[in-house]
Amino acid sequence: MEKLYIVCVDDQREVLASVVRDLNMFADWAVMEECESADEAEELMEDLAASDRPVALIVCDHIMPGMNGVDFLATLAADQRFPHLKKILLTGQATQKDTIEAVNKARIDYYLEKPWSAKELEDVVRLQLSHYLFDSGRFSMEYRALVTPSVLMERMQGRE
Amino acid sequence: MSKKLWKTLIPLLVFFILLALPVEWFGMPGLTVVEQRVIALFFLAALCWILEPIPIFATSLLVIVLELIMLSDKSFILFKSGAGTEGFGTLLSATGIMATFASPVIMLFLGGFFLAMAATKFRLDINLARVLLRPFGSNPNLVLLGLMVITAVFSMFMSNTATTAMMLAILAPVLACLDKDDPARIGFVLAVPVGANIGGIGTPIGTPPNAIALKYISDLQTISFGEWMLFALPFVLVLLFIAWRLLCFFFPSSQKSVVLDIKGRFMRGWRPVTVYITFGVTILLWVLGGLHGMDSNVVALIPVAVFSCTGIISKEDLKTISWDVLWLVSGGIALGAGLEQTGLAARMVSAIPFASLHPMVVLIFAMLMTLLMANFMSHTATANLVLPLMAAMAGALSGLESLGGAVGLLLAVTFSASLGMSLPISAPPNALASATGMVETGHMARIGVSVGLIGLALTLVMLWVANFVGLL
Repeated sequence: MEKLYIVCVDDQREVLASVVRDLNMFADWAVMEECESADEAEELMEDLAASDRPVALIVCDHIMPGMNGVDFLATLAADQRFPHLKKILLTGQATQKDTIEAVNKARIDYYLEKPWSAKELEDVVRLQLSHYLFDSGRFSMEYRALVTPSVLMERMQGRE
Repeated sequence: MSKKLWKTLIPLLVFFILLALPVEWFGMPGLTVVEQRVIALFFLAALCWILEPIPIFATSLLVIVLELIMLSDKSFILFKSGAGTEGFGTLLSATGIMATFASPVIMLFLGGFFLAMAATKFRLDINLARVLLRPFGSNPNLVLLGLMVITAVFSMFMSNTATTAMMLAILAPVLACLDKDDPARIGFVLAVPVGANIGGIGTPIGTPPNAIALKYISDLQTISFGEWMLFALPFVLVLLFIAWRLLCFFFPSSQKSVVLDIKGRFMRGWRPVTVYITFGVTILLWVLGGLHGMDSNVVALIPVAVFSCTGIISKEDLKTISWDVLWLVSGGIALGAGLEQTGLAARMVSAIPFASLHPMVVLIFAMLMTLLMANFMSHTATANLVLPLMAAMAGALSGLESLGGAVGLLLAVTFSASLGMSLPISAPPNALASATGMVETGHMARIGVSVGLIGLALTLVMLWVANFVGLL
């Protein structure tokens, strides 16, 4: 079983640490990468893409010094190297305009508002990883304890 | 060294050692160079299917490609040096090996895939389940029975995995309403994979091991779709009934009534109606095999043509066909053909003193061995390995006439391969059930081991009955 990659981006260290802590339960299936800015994350994505790593999910803050979250996610949405990448925007300060852009340009898969609950983040990440596995064709039964049961039953229908 | 590396190295090491050993060391007088290569290839395939260093379908492809490179009349030049000399043996026809990709049973399965795909696409499966579940009312035990019967019937025509996924999805809202401590929750979840595994036995297209069995049986005598069902269906029904009683006993419901409410209605329009009619007609043609002269493999291609021409199965749908399953079976057929056509099968049988063994002991041992393997590895891979050996042995074994002789032996082993369902890793339907998080391995083992062993005993009884009434 190949480990998936989850990239977390937030300029506040304590927030980043808290996200990673909440996602620690996925350590059996995924490698967690931490970035403190969109620019750093951009570089990391280059590295991961170049070394053929399966980047499944990015959890990204919006307001950050340098490039903001929505713009960064929009570049990823347009990047053909990550066709199945799931994008979660984790923010408390997005304006209505930002939110519209997040949907239309960055085509985010989930909008999570700060402050978040650990349970909600866990459910959302599990759901997005599940869809990533099926969309990318990487699913195998080894991931069955990771995948959200309802998604598993839904997506295994019509399969041999 | 990592586990993965070991799993890769062991099959390769065994393969190369078996290739390099002097021919005399095998203890089979007259063993040829080509036959020795088949032995090495067989062990490579067996170890790869058991240890799974690569996906099981990849092992099948490896078998076919290695046969072409090392054993065929179009093989690599070094593997052909010495051809024609004494002790070299007969090379296989490359065309014949390649033809396993389109062997008639593969076409039969392709037809089954098309039917299942169209049924799922136009929601025929879920709508039928909705209608068929209704008569079972709301008594938890009866709902459980209904669930098992419908899962079994569907898995006769769709894959066991797809059927399980659909039924578990239907079941999810009911399970959510049940009390967390109600043992019936476990019973309901387990009923689905048990029903699917048992139901797969019911028709030639129910599960891939049946296809492989059909390949070997057709070498001995013709067996039509309807004939298969005539003896497999009673077996399925009896075992299903026993499994139902066991589930009620192991996991009694504390609920008075359970309501399965599935929403939806049959789709209308010319495409869905075409699917309904084609589905019905194909099954009818399969069952009435003797009357119209078309064998089941030919009938299977009718839905393929109808659904392609009508756009019911589009170019995109075509890409979602499980070629891996088809190729997994192809590889098994190629391995069996290699064993037989090189003459290795006959030589093995003559080298092992079967006459001194009691045929019943051989049969029961083979069934138990198959059941054990099927519990730990893919049912299809198990059949790929066991059936060619059984086919070779069947001819040499006398004294099984009361159980249908060679055909009976092949069927017994095939049924055993479908009865492996004790563990989450036994088969994909079991893995899906365990993924709901509502059943523990212990629960699954309790019902799986019981049904497996009772199933073996029932197989022997059914074979005896089938032979007695002249079905085999």
